[in-house]
Amino acid sequence: MGSDIFEFSINGLKIIIIFMMMVQIVPLLVWVERRGSAYIQNRFGPNRVGPLGLTQLLADAVKFLTKEEFVPQGSYKFFFYLAPVVALIPAALAFGAIPLSIPIQVEAFTMMGRNWGPYTFPFQSFELGLGVVFVLGASSLAAYALLLAGYGSNNKYSLFGALRASAQTISYELSMGLSIVGVLLVYNTFNFTEMVAQQSGPLAFKFLGNDLLISWLPNWGIFYQPLGAILLFAAFFAETNRLPFDLPEAEGELVAGYHTEYGGFKMNMFYIGEYGHMLVASALMTTFFFGGYTLYPWLTPESLNQALSSFSPTQASLITAFSLHLVFLVKVLFFLWIFIHVRWTLPRFRYDQLMDLGWKTMLPWSLVNAIVTAVIIVLMRSHWS
Amino acid sequence: MQNIEAIGIGQNHYLILSAIIFSIGIMGVLFRKNIIMMLMSLELMLNAINLTFIAFGYFNGNLNGQIMVFFVMTLAAAEAAIGLAIAVMIYRKFNEVNIRYFEQMKG
Amino acid sequence: MSTFIISNLWFYVLALSLIFFAFKVVTSANPIHSALHLVLTMMGVAGLFFHLNAQFIAGVQVIVYAGAVMVLFVMVLMLFDLKHEFNAFAKGLVSGFLKLMSVALVVGYLVGVFLESGESKGVKASLTTSGDQTSTQLQVTRDLAQLLYTKYVLVFEVLGVLLLVVAIGAVAISRIQGGTHAKH
Repeated sequence: MGSDIFEFSINGLKIIIIFMMMVQIVPLLVWVERRGSAYIQNRFGPNRVGPLGLTQLLADAVKFLTKEEFVPQGSYKFFFYLAPVVALIPAALAFGAIPLSIPIQVEAFTMMGRNWGPYTFPFQSFELGLGVVFVLGASSLAAYALLLAGYGSNNKYSLFGALRASAQTISYELSMGLSIVGVLLVYNTFNFTEMVAQQSGPLAFKFLGNDLLISWLPNWGIFYQPLGAILLFAAFFAETNRLPFDLPEAEGELVAGYHTEYGGFKMNMFYIGEYGHMLVASALMTTFFFGGYTLYPWLTPESLNQALSSFSPTQASLITAFSLHLVFLVKVLFFLWIFIHVRWTLPRFRYDQLMDLGWKTMLPWSLVNAIVTAVIIVLMRSHWS
Repeated sequence: MQNIEAIGIGQNHYLILSAIIFSIGIMGVLFRKNIIMMLMSLELMLNAINLTFIAFGYFNGNLNGQIMVFFVMTLAAAEAAIGLAIAVMIYRKFNEVNIRYFEQMKG
Repeated sequence: MSTFIISNLWFYVLALSLIFFAFKVVTSANPIHSALHLVLTMMGVAGLFFHLNAQFIAGVQVIVYAGAVMVLFVMVLMLFDLKHEFNAFAKGLVSGFLKLMSVALVVGYLVGVFLESGESKGVKASLTTSGDQTSTQLQVTRDLAQLLYTKYVLVFEVLGVLLLVVAIGAVAISRIQGGTHAKH
């Protein structure tokens, strides 16, 4: 965490701020969803509470917090209370491992009569060498929240919804993992920071012994793994239980599925978990395929450092980090908008269609993607004399 | 006083821990009557074995321990799948998962 | 003495909680409580793996074991809908006593073997530089992959075939005649 009190406190503050970032994006997303869906459906959304209806969510939060706390009779109280917490934790853990910008370098300075040495603060909650493995592991723990909620509710509709939801989750984890294998083959590393660093240059690859360079395109992963990107995006829809894969929460079929018996703030925590998973999915899509926090020709760490060479190193590093963070946020918001747009455009899959799609279509295509990627990498990177 | 910081966590600590967990697993297999509980105790034993392999690998500077854990984990997942499939079939036919009912091979 | 305890506190906390959870796995009356304690045990074991310079194996343990195999166990337990087993343990005093004594014998044997065998290996010399830096985590994974695909490639392929056989076998054991779309 840090060698002295300054680094320790900054790192602790950073963890709290990143967690609050995940929690606070939920009101914004719900507002975008309600207004955006309203415009898609040719009606107005909430527009009375504040300017453009922006404080509607604040009113909703107050409503949730002041509702009655109840537990269904005959339910397992411990599981009932535990499920919303378990829904929130994997999303927060996974979001902490993804880098949101370049590390901030702080030069040595003196304050209060003591020399504080040069520091480097990575722009993420914790930095892991095996970031991808950690994020996959944290996402696969999200299935327990559904099971605990369904079982602890003493309600057969909840139980069926929970069983369906967890079966769907573990089925689509396979396609997710295999698509990520394709990405790992291309980048040759598990570390997110190195992946983004490899994407901050012009599009350059070896092909049959020749070096090709296209200088006006950035080296994004989408050009290397188009099929993998599509499969991963579809698998993320299933992992986060969003439409068109949201039969577990369907209102018509299952009386709201595994969170039927929840009301008040506990229900809100489920939604924070779902939007948190959406946020992690969007962040992963940008990091793997769309360059992360860099944008090659104009906004890479090197070009920004050059442009800001007149400032002191600490200030230059801070300005670079925050502007690259803005780039990252724009890309993540684009993917979140696609999530919301798809929800209100496509109809829902039936459960057997969902499972057929997961096992009979996406899994074989993910396998083909991994094999073809491996073959092409061997062809492209081997030495041709 | 000797260099107390040098007394770290040695190989024996991990081995004794995994021996204790392994024997708790054996207790589970011997004492429980439910098929699923016996399968879960078996998983506990396999976890203890994985811990032993990795501890040996670490303290002897050898990566073969981690390779063995790969294979043990794969086999444990496969065996859990088949065990659960069999348990589901037994429950479907007899509506009972208590192994005391199946102890005598009859009929 | 205090530095000894504080610098190794993480191990004792993790080890004692692991033993507690494992004990609760075996002695819980409700099978779902046992399954959830088993998930906690597996996460604890993954934590120990992380400190033993096996970070990739720790990640794989969480993904495969705690995230897929145990979800399967919990799903099957919820399908069965078992009530609390009031008589969760085997009846019979003599057979119970014999089983307990045999387990105690096994524990004593194992612990005795470890304590009597040769010199005890202490802390590795490179403990301070291993496992915490991001580059060593990747290097261990690369070495692991190198070993897996050159020296153990036959075992790897055989395991692939075995998993295929297991998948087909599990479907064959538990299928309903005519498939799931059949009319009964």
